[in-house]
Amino acid sequence: MNRLPATGWRGKLLHVDLGEGTARIEEIPREFLLRYLGGRGLGVRLLRETYALDPFHPSMPLIFAVGPLCGTAAPTAARLAAVSRSPLTGTVYDCSAGGRFAHRLKAAGFDALRIVGRSPRPVALAVTPEGAETLPAGDLWGKTVGETVRALEGRGSVAAIGPAGENRVLFACIMMGEGNAIGRGGLGAVMGGKNLKAVVVNGDRAVAVADPSRFDRARQDVMRLFRASPVIFGELGIAEFGTPALVDLMRQRRMAPTENFRRTVFEGSGNYSGPAIRKAYGSKKDGCFGCPIQCKKSTPDGMHLPEYETVSHFGALNGIDDLHAIVRSNALCNELGMDTISAAATLAAWGEGRGRFPVAEEVDRLVADIGYRRGEGDLLAQGSRRVAEAMGNPDLSMSVKSLELPAYDPRGAYGMALAYCTSNRGGCHLRAYPISHEILRKPVATDRFSFSGKARIIKIAEDANAAVDSLVACKFSFFGATLEEYAELLSATTGEEYGPQSLKEIGERIYLTERFYNCANGFDAGDDRLPARFFREPGSGGEGIEIPPIDEKRFEEELGKYYRIRGLTPQGTFSDPGFLEKLP
Amino acid sequence: MRDQIAKYSGRLLSDRSAVPGRISFAAQDDVLLTDGDPELARLAGEVLFSLSCLGMVAALPSLPFADFLVRRAPAGETRIVPRDTETRTFLHDIPFLRREELGGDAAARIARLLGNRKGVIAEGLGIFANGPVTVEHAYINYSSVFHAVFVKYLLDVLAEGFLLPGEKEAFEGFRRDWLRPVSAEGLPFRSGPLEDPGEILAEIAAVGRYTVERGLVDSFFGNISCRAGGVVYISQTAASLDELPGRIDPVPMDNSSTTGITASSELLAHRRIYEASGARTILHGHPKFAVAMSMLCEEKDCPVKDCWKDCDRVRLLGDAPVVAGEIGAGGLAKRVPPVIASPRKAVVYGHGVFTVGRTDFAEAFRAMVALENWCREEYFRRLAEKFSG
Ligand SMILES: [Zn+2]
Repeated sequence: MNRLPATGWRGKLLHVDLGEGTARIEEIPREFLLRYLGGRGLGVRLLRETYALDPFHPSMPLIFAVGPLCGTAAPTAARLAAVSRSPLTGTVYDCSAGGRFAHRLKAAGFDALRIVGRSPRPVALAVTPEGAETLPAGDLWGKTVGETVRALEGRGSVAAIGPAGENRVLFACIMMGEGNAIGRGGLGAVMGGKNLKAVVVNGDRAVAVADPSRFDRARQDVMRLFRASPVIFGELGIAEFGTPALVDLMRQRRMAPTENFRRTVFEGSGNYSGPAIRKAYGSKKDGCFGCPIQCKKSTPDGMHLPEYETVSHFGALNGIDDLHAIVRSNALCNELGMDTISAAATLAAWGEGRGRFPVAEEVDRLVADIGYRRGEGDLLAQGSRRVAEAMGNPDLSMSVKSLELPAYDPRGAYGMALAYCTSNRGGCHLRAYPISHEILRKPVATDRFSFSGKARIIKIAEDANAAVDSLVACKFSFFGATLEEYAELLSATTGEEYGPQSLKEIGERIYLTERFYNCANGFDAGDDRLPARFFREPGSGGEGIEIPPIDEKRFEEELGKYYRIRGLTPQGTFSDPGFLEKLP
Repeated sequence: MRDQIAKYSGRLLSDRSAVPGRISFAAQDDVLLTDGDPELARLAGEVLFSLSCLGMVAALPSLPFADFLVRRAPAGETRIVPRDTETRTFLHDIPFLRREELGGDAAARIARLLGNRKGVIAEGLGIFANGPVTVEHAYINYSSVFHAVFVKYLLDVLAEGFLLPGEKEAFEGFRRDWLRPVSAEGLPFRSGPLEDPGEILAEIAAVGRYTVERGLVDSFFGNISCRAGGVVYISQTAASLDELPGRIDPVPMDNSSTTGITASSELLAHRRIYEASGARTILHGHPKFAVAMSMLCEEKDCPVKDCWKDCDRVRLLGDAPVVAGEIGAGGLAKRVPPVIASPRKAVVYGHGVFTVGRTDFAEAFRAMVALENWCREEYFRRLAEKFSG
């Protein structure tokens, strides 16, 4: 073929079978790359033959996929998506994380790493441009994330599970060496199920950009928009205070989930606000490799400080106002390798069920018990839905499709309420991210207490974000930049022309593919449900703001609109069983 | 969504950016709605239907500048590139379709361009602007295109004169009929210093409305603040200055709370201006003649290529200093505070005007009016001087 040398994409994936102990390099059809980009989209496409398998079936792949912008100077693009099927939700699942691991995987010459099979004994996988090598990891089994990373980092960048992943805690995460998490949905348990303790990647191959001067202009356009965004580089924004900058705002908007969503204002939240954390820990900027925003914060000696969701859920959701206890819980979750949102929310559901939320002193023990599946921890390790069912009160679980809701009360943002339900991976805020316009006024503000137009807005945002997750870029970039500038970066990188509209069409293809997998696995409108509490109980009104229960009829009406806009049946399913075959 | 369409149709009339009767909107929920001028509405609906956007406005601008810019563009050119900050930051450029490209499937051609940009000029038809998130979003994009086109046309005419038949007459008509005197006449201001939070919020809302009503700012740009004690009360980001009640953030000067994360992107500039000048109020708008005039630079063989960002000279428009600097953390927060203290006004290259009041908003507002009037007169003086006879 007399094609120009590839730019942006590598066109190759590394396939590893841990059961057979083999690895091979495969060509990725160019069509997949052009039509699914990379990251989430590519990973989801690569699941087409196996999506119906049980998440713990040896043949269920665990895919790490980078995007066409990874390895370039595109802001926030040193990211990857991990894709598989979630043991927590049963849905197809992708999770995005930043860091050097993604950069190195691309630098090793691959767009994706696909791992199947179950190793007979614990192993780590070392990936280089030459291929993969399995390393015995018996002595690492049982070790914390930090210990594992330190043992392997001499070989490159590490992604590892902790004891939680080994023990198949259903919300176990995969931790990146620098402290970023492939956090939600339990992909750490999928990795543990393969007896795979860690992956370490190394490589140094540069990524070619098709039109460097066009790329540079687009990059400047993005950076200009970052600087113009109060949320990103404003003096109260996330670059300064990290995502805990949202603590004060959610308190003021009266939508900070408190005591398992029984209330929406927590009096003690000032103890863990952005400014309070900075004061207590002298925090410094930290963050993903190659990211200009650096929204993560750490102590001067390098300990990672918690994100908004984590402080709010280990705080308000459990009625705890002790910052140091919250920071400890976060650190412990990271060492054991589990998702802080699901861990804290499961504790809160359980706390409400037993009539007493855990106190700060208790949380450490409970978190450790979950990670090692000891005592009560064995039940708690299955997430709030299963815990609530076991306690005989399913309504206690504040989750959608078994994924615990993050720290934005849906009674305070109706687009968020809808988006929790339409998300293909369960109760996640990041799929459509309506907080951006309902609360943060970006790119324009919408009325947070209105459903008007929200079905369409959510649909468009889901498509746009599916494309973003496939580039892969960070959602936070879009508090400033838009798909226009990122499409320009993509066109300049790959030499193929993309625009916001074509990216959204790609996103729609990805979204519908995921939805199709889910429907084929038995999901339908009955699963697009918010916990009953939000339709029956008000939040904590006051200071001129009412937080009434959500109008269920109006909610249903908007959900119905959403299905129509998506071209789905009123049951939220596909009328054409051959839908998937018509996609590339 | 019907109410949104009604509201923003009204705004296109009240800000006089579109011709009455030649305004249309389209919006899609689970069904497609269109409204307004039937021919434009049909096109807007068709265009919107093929885009992943919620709203669309298509309207004939009240001034023929967009069409003139299209016709003045060299053959083969497909876009105009205004140099104002709104274009530079948000629009990037404005693609256009010439009259002869609009036969046949005009909607498909417009949609293709709007799939990549926020606004498009279709010669003879008007400006088409998309709203990815809301109908309001489409209005904002329309308004930005109108603003950018206005400023670019002023500058192009001053640089090259009139090139087309009928252009001079149209421009004279614009000056005679469209332009209205800018003034602070008849506006009540609370006299300061303002201390009571309730009174401050009410006055900010009132003055914000004046700024829009008197044409000192376009769409949702511009911002306004008042300092009292240790708190800056400032308009929120993406808030229309004539709809500020409920959209003003109190931000403590010591950053002890982050609720102000939703405040204007110019919060940092406001704070630095307060620190540098001791002022009590700040007003920031994008008055068109001041924006245009700020870009007239007589410097010969200047080594600076990126004037918005890299120019560190302080020039003068009358007695107002002009500095460069991009939005937000990009630089104007550094360059404006040092020059604004004594003249109590400053212009940012290609962007807009900051004025301050020592006690209340009357002083800041009048200063902005005076500056825009000076720039307007100076513009026409230079135009006459250059092309007299
Ligand atoms: Zn401005």
